[in-house]
Amino acid sequence: MPRSVHTSLPIARILRRILVGGSILFLCLLLFVPRQSQEWLGQVGGPFAMILEGPLQVVASIQHTVGDTWSQYLALQQVWEENQSLRSQLQELQGEQNRLREQAILARDFEKLLQYQATAPMTTLSAHIIGRNASNWYRALIIDKGAQDGIHAEMGVITVAGVVGRVVRVNPTTSIVLLLSDPNVAITGMIQTSRDEGIIQGTPQGNIHMKYLPPLSPVTVGDAIVTSGLTDDFPRGLHIGHIRQITKATADLFQSGEVTPIVNFSKLEGVLVITSFQPPISAESSPSTTTLPAP
Amino acid sequence: MHVAFQLMLCVATVVAQATLNSFLSINNVYPDLCLVLACLAGFFSNEYKGSIIGLTVGFLQDLLTPGGIGLNMILKGLAGYLAGMTTYTISTVTTSAVVIVAVALSLGCGLASLIVAYPALNGSEAFHVISWVLVPQALYNSVLAAGFFWLTHTVRQSFGMVHFVQGRR
Repeated sequence: MPRSVHTSLPIARILRRILVGGSILFLCLLLFVPRQSQEWLGQVGGPFAMILEGPLQVVASIQHTVGDTWSQYLALQQVWEENQSLRSQLQELQGEQNRLREQAILARDFEKLLQYQATAPMTTLSAHIIGRNASNWYRALIIDKGAQDGIHAEMGVITVAGVVGRVVRVNPTTSIVLLLSDPNVAITGMIQTSRDEGIIQGTPQGNIHMKYLPPLSPVTVGDAIVTSGLTDDFPRGLHIGHIRQITKATADLFQSGEVTPIVNFSKLEGVLVITSFQPPISAESSPSTTTLPAP
Repeated sequence: MHVAFQLMLCVATVVAQATLNSFLSINNVYPDLCLVLACLAGFFSNEYKGSIIGLTVGFLQDLLTPGGIGLNMILKGLAGYLAGMTTYTISTVTTSAVVIVAVALSLGCGLASLIVAYPALNGSEAFHVISWVLVPQALYNSVLAAGFFWLTHTVRQSFGMVHFVQGRR
């Protein structure tokens, strides 16, 4: 068996040399054959070229994809950096815009207060609200004006819209204002249209109640309520709110009603404290005293 | 230094009470941070320190409250004292014990404040205030007190500073 292998090897080697030599000769001849023969060869190689087209396209597309991705990545890197920069700028601008908007709102509110202060028939002192209820049992505000600014207990507190409450405690630089919705505050009010008077008082639930309205008073839902000026802390005619609901049982001597306050107590930022005003009764009575005949 | 820190803590608590209520409010009920501080001072130290911190924080709270000066001072001082006394009677002060004591103290203080603030309430108004303000506030206070107690205890234990608050009997 090994002998036959040894004997067949030279023959195979000769055949291989013949094949290689023939192929080289064939290729050399192809270079010199006429153009028509080359076209014929091209047609023969066409299907092989088609087979190659697929992988070529795949590789080319991969190459394009990788190239595009890389260039996009480079572009994105720049865009990302630019984006980060713009984002930080945007945040700065948003913060500045918010600050300016807040200042504008505060300025507008205080401008209204100051305009009202200039035209109101009373002397008032503007104050900022620096705190709210320090316990669950009172509805109160803390303002930044106190005894050093001329504030006294029992002074009325208002806004441009209407009545807020009353000063109940005065510290040197701060004061505590009890809101109208607290049960410990009661002021005299009247129905603006019918001029019927009653007592405005808060309830433990945080509502505002109007009590002791005359039984024959033609009060209706929606009627405006203003201060009557009978107490020393508020002049006549300041807006308190509107009648939301009227209650009168047959056995009751008086009518009463629920009041919707004109001031939103939870959104207050600044108030005016009434330091002095001319009470209407004394204003009306003063001329009569001057016209008395001399004895 | 220690006194200054305690005073600063009292001031910070009162300021937080007057300014952070809108953030802490749940259904228009907010916690009494001053009471929580007085209770915690009693739990973590003793009845004397609890009462002193309670008196101080109560006095500061009185300055910013419409009611007369003295009520919060007495109530918070008493709460701090009683919270400190519980460390004598309970072998180990746990978070659940803090909850129970804080609820009881908060209900007591709240009831006293309610009587002083609204002396002329009728039955339905009293029921409303008790069910919608007094009880929820007591629960809120106790949850906060227990939360602070648990947090402080956990931090202390993890840093190996002080062991759990032990009763003194």
